[in-house]
Amino acid sequence: MMNTQVPQVATLSPRHIEQPSFGRILQSLSHPVFAIDVNGLIVYANTAAEVAFDGWVVGLNLRDLLPGFTLPNVTQFDRKSVLLASKSNEAYEATLAPLGDGFFVVDLRAHSKLSETPIQTDLDDLTGLAKRNMLMSHLNVARSRVLGAASFAVHCIDLDRFKTVNDTLGHAIGDLLLKKVADRLNSACRKGDVVARLGGDEFVVLQHDVTDTAAAERLASRIVDLVGRTYVLNGHTINIGASVGVAICDENSQPRDLLRNADLALYEAKRAGRGRYRSFESSMSARLQERRDMEVDLRRALALKQFELSYQPFLDLNDDTVIGFEALLRWNHPVKGNVPPLQFIPLAEENGLIVKIGAWVLHKACMEAATWPGEMIVAVNVSPLQFKADNLLETVSSALARTGLPAHRLELEITEGALLDDTDNVLLTLTALRDLGVKISMDDFGTGYSSLAYLQKFPFNKIKIDRSFVAGGNADSEAILKAVANLGSSLGMSITAEGVETVEQLKRIRNERCTHVQGYLTGRPMRPDAIPAFLNQPLLAPL
Amino acid sequence: MSMYRLVYYSRNHIASDPALYENAVNDILAKSRVNNARDDITGALLFNAGCFAQVLEGPLDKVEAAFERIQQDDRHGDVSLLGIDPVDQRSFPNWAMGFVGISDADAVRFAGIGSDSGFDPSRLDGEQIHMLLRDLTMEEETAFC
Repeated sequence: MMNTQVPQVATLSPRHIEQPSFGRILQSLSHPVFAIDVNGLIVYANTAAEVAFDGWVVGLNLRDLLPGFTLPNVTQFDRKSVLLASKSNEAYEATLAPLGDGFFVVDLRAHSKLSETPIQTDLDDLTGLAKRNMLMSHLNVARSRVLGAASFAVHCIDLDRFKTVNDTLGHAIGDLLLKKVADRLNSACRKGDVVARLGGDEFVVLQHDVTDTAAAERLASRIVDLVGRTYVLNGHTINIGASVGVAICDENSQPRDLLRNADLALYEAKRAGRGRYRSFESSMSARLQERRDMEVDLRRALALKQFELSYQPFLDLNDDTVIGFEALLRWNHPVKGNVPPLQFIPLAEENGLIVKIGAWVLHKACMEAATWPGEMIVAVNVSPLQFKADNLLETVSSALARTGLPAHRLELEITEGALLDDTDNVLLTLTALRDLGVKISMDDFGTGYSSLAYLQKFPFNKIKIDRSFVAGGNADSEAILKAVANLGSSLGMSITAEGVETVEQLKRIRNERCTHVQGYLTGRPMRPDAIPAFLNQPLLAPL
Repeated sequence: MSMYRLVYYSRNHIASDPALYENAVNDILAKSRVNNARDDITGALLFNAGCFAQVLEGPLDKVEAAFERIQQDDRHGDVSLLGIDPVDQRSFPNWAMGFVGISDADAVRFAGIGSDSGFDPSRLDGEQIHMLLRDLTMEEETAFC
């Protein structure tokens, strides 16, 4: 093949020209040239190559010199040069050409475009996996090579329950576990794929030669399976899970977008219950954008007075009279109109805004209730997050002091979520609140863990049975309603049946020892200015 | 170093393709023999089209390493670890592998595996473990077929 480069003289046939050996020609070249076999083993290196890589390199693998060099490049050679870096971070443009018989020639040219990041060899001490910088350079290189059908995928991986292992078995076992996870990730991947640990229990896999979504999802599903299998470490049996988010590179995506997209998909995988994978869909960024927008709006809503409270009456079933109202939060969004609490409360709990909003609700509800006649009670929902914020007692006392509402006319409704973590501190706060004279009720009972231990740990004034058991229609929910009502009354607690909508339901709960009722039948939520008229109207006839 | 016994069972992922199945079983036998002899591991691997069930006895680090290799193998899945416990002495004198099931065809097909590796259910010690594995495997095979 070199013949074509030898000057041709018209009168002489090529064989009459004396030629230096090809070896000498190669040796004289100023840039490194290698010959490698199909495994990347170096079988020949010219002088420039030995100078560039500090000595005898024949017998080494090209990967030892250029860590970013991957075998798929060789087998899928498309005469396109790739950008690689040596261990000392010299950047080279490498061109590969098949020599036949399973051999290849590799021609390296010093790379001048300094703006492109060469592959950095930056390894995690614990697991030997790539660290962030190395991953980013691999992503950049992979991105520059994307052509036609073969693309690459990024998998973001989080371990489920890793923290528990660290907390219960100690960091030494935690570290051993991370090593084994690294092993399993390596064994799930093909040669040439890059496995990185970005810190903690966060891993990323760069998967090469991805021709379709199915190929990426196969690996993701394999990672979920493999990493989620039981580990045995120093005689301990350990079970963790893996959640995986996948994003495939397309012609428009940049490495950073890809990582972000895979991360978004990971977030969705975790939200869907962990121990599974999700592939990125563009609707995920739209959803994220929506959440961001709502968060911005939510932060402004208090200042712009977009919140208001409506009040739903509850009745004492002894004499069928209204004895109080539950305060319900309403958000009047200037564009979206009335936003249901289910759409914004979880978000407010995620970003902590619920503490401020909750304090506003307490103050506003106490202020409005102070204008109500007689001993009318106001019930206010308190989020578990407000207990964590550690100033709930102070917030409640100051709301009472500033509005002049007597403590016994305030009822706080908590869900069992408040009692899940840090139970002892929460119980201390509840006791202090009860000592103020405030009533405490257990809301939505029957929907969560419904642990009877909670009922024993604190003497709630009231249990509110979730509407799903009141709606009835089947023997099971009726049995549960009956059991909870019996339990509550034998513990000396009042029982409110929520969501009563029909006369028939009301009749049933009356028979089941419920003491209070709340629902559309006995009164819909109303604006505060409608309360006086409501209290003046005669009782509903069918009650 | 003290002796440990590990017991697991798992679902067979390779039985749907007869050629693959037979090759895989031969490969498992060959590799396990080498590894287990090297690592001073004894025990028994029972299998059929539905599942694998295995007991491994040996030094803790070696048993853990063997189990980790097993976990990384995608020829099976849904691995249930039934126990890993210290034991005073081995119940299995060597490591052997055998077909346990009601499928006549497979019993004939894999008869060689058992005689090759010295697998003889009636002569195995650890009677209880063996019975447990046997029962598990039998159930799994019928669930699969």
